[in-house]
Amino acid sequence: MTDTNPGPRITVDAALAALAKRRDQQVVVSTMTASRPWRDSAETDRDLICVGFMGGASTLGLGVQLARPDVPVWVLDGDGSLAMQLGSLLTVANAAPCRFLHVVFHNGVYDTSGAQPILAEGNMSFAEMAKGAGYAEAVRFDDIESFDVALDELLAVDGPVFVELISEPTGEQFSGSRGAEQPLAAGERPRPSALADIWPKVRDSLAADE
Amino acid sequence: MPTAEAIPAQPFLDAIQAAGVTDIVAVPDTHQRSLIEALDRAGEPRFIQSATEDEAVALAAGLIVGGRRPLVQIQHAGLYACVNHLRGIADDGRFPMVFLIGLLGRDPDLLPGEHGSSMVRLAQPLLDTFGVPHFLLDRPEDLDKLAGAFEVAEARQGPVVLLVGVMTN
Repeated sequence: MTDTNPGPRITVDAALAALAKRRDQQVVVSTMTASRPWRDSAETDRDLICVGFMGGASTLGLGVQLARPDVPVWVLDGDGSLAMQLGSLLTVANAAPCRFLHVVFHNGVYDTSGAQPILAEGNMSFAEMAKGAGYAEAVRFDDIESFDVALDELLAVDGPVFVELISEPTGEQFSGSRGAEQPLAAGERPRPSALADIWPKVRDSLAADE
Repeated sequence: MPTAEAIPAQPFLDAIQAAGVTDIVAVPDTHQRSLIEALDRAGEPRFIQSATEDEAVALAAGLIVGGRRPLVQIQHAGLYACVNHLRGIADDGRFPMVFLIGLLGRDPDLLPGEHGSSMVRLAQPLLDTFGVPHFLLDRPEDLDKLAGAFEVAEARQGPVVLLVGVMTN
């Protein structure tokens, strides 16, 4: 695919490392490109994943923040995912969570399906959309040094913060196979997702320091 | 002989509060307008508005993670719009999530399944397809089902739907 957003780009690993060194008690909701490397490097009992429902990461995180305003929430989102739920920018901004960092990895493509470009790539800005929606702060970075330097100040903002990272595609593609599937018995309920195992641990972790 | 009658907003609100609901997560529904107005006046539970029904489901899941007891308030068209989040978050994610869904355009003299319009007719079969328990609120006495819906949702660790049969007044 032609690169419609030429110029410097941030690697996903570098961006995640900048966040990981500031990880404390935050709840982190990750999805798409960032999810696997984040969980491999920084997973705690306060990580939620968003798989099988693209576009839901930010509002899942918003719910946690509105339930527990004392606990910061970080959302590690994808550009294609956000494009599926652009209205969520309004939902987040309207709710005005006080400690909410929404990071979007803007690599410009649907990475796992073969790098098809996202719509209007090269002609639009998610940060401008977030700013227009009413986020307290919305900024765009294309180099890791600037992001790393600005991050502490952004994390101190009282209100929802949006960070658009112009990032490198990872080239990771989904094989389509989830392995052998056991057929359901008649009347049996479809099996739970990975999220079903994860979220009660996050709930318990939050309840433990209420 | 009508099969359904309108439920007034105040007893509806009373039942919601008695069920321990902490938050209403809503895309405003014309069918439940008087209830929304009553919720706004009461201030409790907290009213959180979202742009889409997908977002309402995800937001409610986050509230549950944080220890709250939300009620998702939408319309049947919104149910049709958010089936992937209903499946992927509420059901596959095993979230005990209760929905209040307005059947806008329902003729109170007919059962929903007797309607010619797809909007009213297809809600129950769709929920059956997804294996989601559902209950009709067709008269004020049915408000007893509201607290019960939360018990069912907790017991099955999944979504439960209450269908508001007639426009609230």
